Amino acid sequence: MSSSTAVSAPRKSAGGRFLASELSVLFRRRRTWALLAALAAIPVLIAVAVRLSSGPSPGRGPAFLDQVSQNGLFVAVVATIVAIPLFLPLTVGVVAGDTVAGEASTGTLRYLLMSPVARGRLLAVKYVGAVVFCLAATFTVAIVGTLMGALLFPTGPVTLLSGTSIGVPEALLRIALVCLYVTLSLLGLCAVGLFMSTLTDVPVGAMAATVVASVVSQVVGQLPQLEWIHPWLLTQYWLGFADLLRDPIVWDSFAANALLQAGYVVVFGALAYGRFSTKDVLA
Amino acid sequence: MTRTGRKSWRQWTPAVVAAGAVGAAALVAPFSANAAVDLPDKTAAEVLALVQEKDADAFYGTVEQSSNLGLPDLSALGGAAGGMSPGGSGTTGGTTNDDGGEPSPASAALELITGSHTAQVFVNGPHQARLQVLDPLEERNVIRNGDDLWYYNSDENEAFHATLEDHEKPDGATSAPNDVAAHFLEKIDPSTEVTVGSDRMVAGRAVYDLVLTPRSTETLVSSVRIAVDGETGLPLGVTVAAAGSTDPAFSSTFTEINYEEPSAELFAFTPPEGAAVTEVDPGDHKAEHQREHQREHTDKEAAEKPTVVGEGWDAVVVVPAGQQEIPAELMQLSTAVDGGQLLSTALVNVLITDDGRILAGSVTVERLQAVASGQ
Repeated sequence: MSSSTAVSAPRKSAGGRFLASELSVLFRRRRTWALLAALAAIPVLIAVAVRLSSGPSPGRGPAFLDQVSQNGLFVAVVATIVAIPLFLPLTVGVVAGDTVAGEASTGTLRYLLMSPVARGRLLAVKYVGAVVFCLAATFTVAIVGTLMGALLFPTGPVTLLSGTSIGVPEALLRIALVCLYVTLSLLGLCAVGLFMSTLTDVPVGAMAATVVASVVSQVVGQLPQLEWIHPWLLTQYWLGFADLLRDPIVWDSFAANALLQAGYVVVFGALAYGRFSTKDVLA
Repeated sequence: MTRTGRKSWRQWTPAVVAAGAVGAAALVAPFSANAAVDLPDKTAAEVLALVQEKDADAFYGTVEQSSNLGLPDLSALGGAAGGMSPGGSGTTGGTTNDDGGEPSPASAALELITGSHTAQVFVNGPHQARLQVLDPLEERNVIRNGDDLWYYNSDENEAFHATLEDHEKPDGATSAPNDVAAHFLEKIDPSTEVTVGSDRMVAGRAVYDLVLTPRSTETLVSSVRIAVDGETGLPLGVTVAAAGSTDPAFSSTFTEINYEEPSAELFAFTPPEGAAVTEVDPGDHKAEHQREHQREHTDKEAAEKPTVVGEGWDAVVVVPAGQQEIPAELMQLSTAVDGGQLLSTALVNVLITDDGRILAGSVTVERLQAVASGQ
């Protein structure tokens, strides 16, 4: 027993170092910053468009859009709503689809596996890297949105869906909660991307397959004929973050979403492991 | 060869186990919620008494309502609030594609009855209540605090306020289970057979299953099941089954219930800044009622007022020509039958006769036609 802990301790730190190097590689890539910049452009566009126009009438455009001109904090919420169906899955698909296939295509996967790191651990590190990107992506949208809103519009107490007003600090807290919810929503997609990435040496294929998975899931979610399958869809609770903007907060969708995403992570994580643990690494 | 064969098997073990575990959990979870319950045996009359003496002044919980009336999704037709499904559309995303037109009150009410909804209910005594309809990215609130009655719609950011007189009960009860149950329990008369089914679990509470079966053969309702909390007597769920169908046509059930006093802040509503507030005077309604009353007396023409033919489950409401308009989107769904146009749902039939009268009831078409021709 004692010997195993003695062995696992340096291993752990090796894993930690591995994760640190993975993250530094990820966030030093120009592509990662381009993806984040594209996401940051969404709140900028929304804020500028609303500032330059006379303001939309209630009930048109994305939810909350009509509130932006009265309260800049809503830029973050509107941008998140706009980003969820396509832009966030797109960027996450690029990063998650690239995890293993990217290394394989550039021929670096071989060298990674030469280091004393188990394949399962390599997968885990790659997955955590993609999750950190999800977190960065959602917070980029929200933080840029909040800053643009504060810059171009008045800010003040925020009216929740229930008609209650909350102060700016609590509103910022709620926006942070929304970001965590959206990150949670993307965990399953990350796992799908990781699995796709183990199937091929062509990163673009894995990226496209991941994005297609999210789009197909949303299309199926629109079809009432397939209602029986809806509770199982990856994207079922994606817009459920609105429950965090109620008073009192309704946590049900948060819990249901966590359970659903955990199911996807477990199943697709295990599938990725099954594929990757005996994959012949030729490149 | 055998070694690699075994190895390739082993690598997939986690995947198989994971998929199996997730599948098993999904299958078992609904069953464990329905574990056998055994409450002390009670007769139907005793359960009814339990409901009357209900010991639940303050409670809050979540209500799931669904209806399967055989109508298409009216939220899509009417453009009423809450029409969007939570999945979001593939490309444009979480946009509510309202065409900017105001949904008519009639279609909004229809949407509330026909669609599936989740709502939160907070009740503290007879004079404090709040209903929150949790629409995707929107919310509708009905709040009653003493004599103040508020309605708030987050989509339009508009609020309506009315002052009730002498703690009167507001018009239009909610579709929360306890209110719906009260509606059916009022109707209990000799034409209804009341039995107690087997005990079950609703919202984690052991409940008596009160079954109301109409003795009439002409009604569309085959049974109404009311889940009565075995301890507090609060109706926790109502399921209405239509004749000739196994799926419930309407159900409104608590999925969570908590018998604690809700926070007082929930009932103190002040309209948010920027909201359009409309003051509604319930006195208007009354004055109108009185005027109508007088008119009725002077004109001596009772035929101008809606009348009810029959009793209990067989009751048919007859509205004279020109008194009530049917929303256009509903008329699109009607079919031509002998003597007029028929709007048929699982629980209600509406016959619009050729001479403009409207007959409605939870009864068969034949009975509507008989009433129409009998007059």
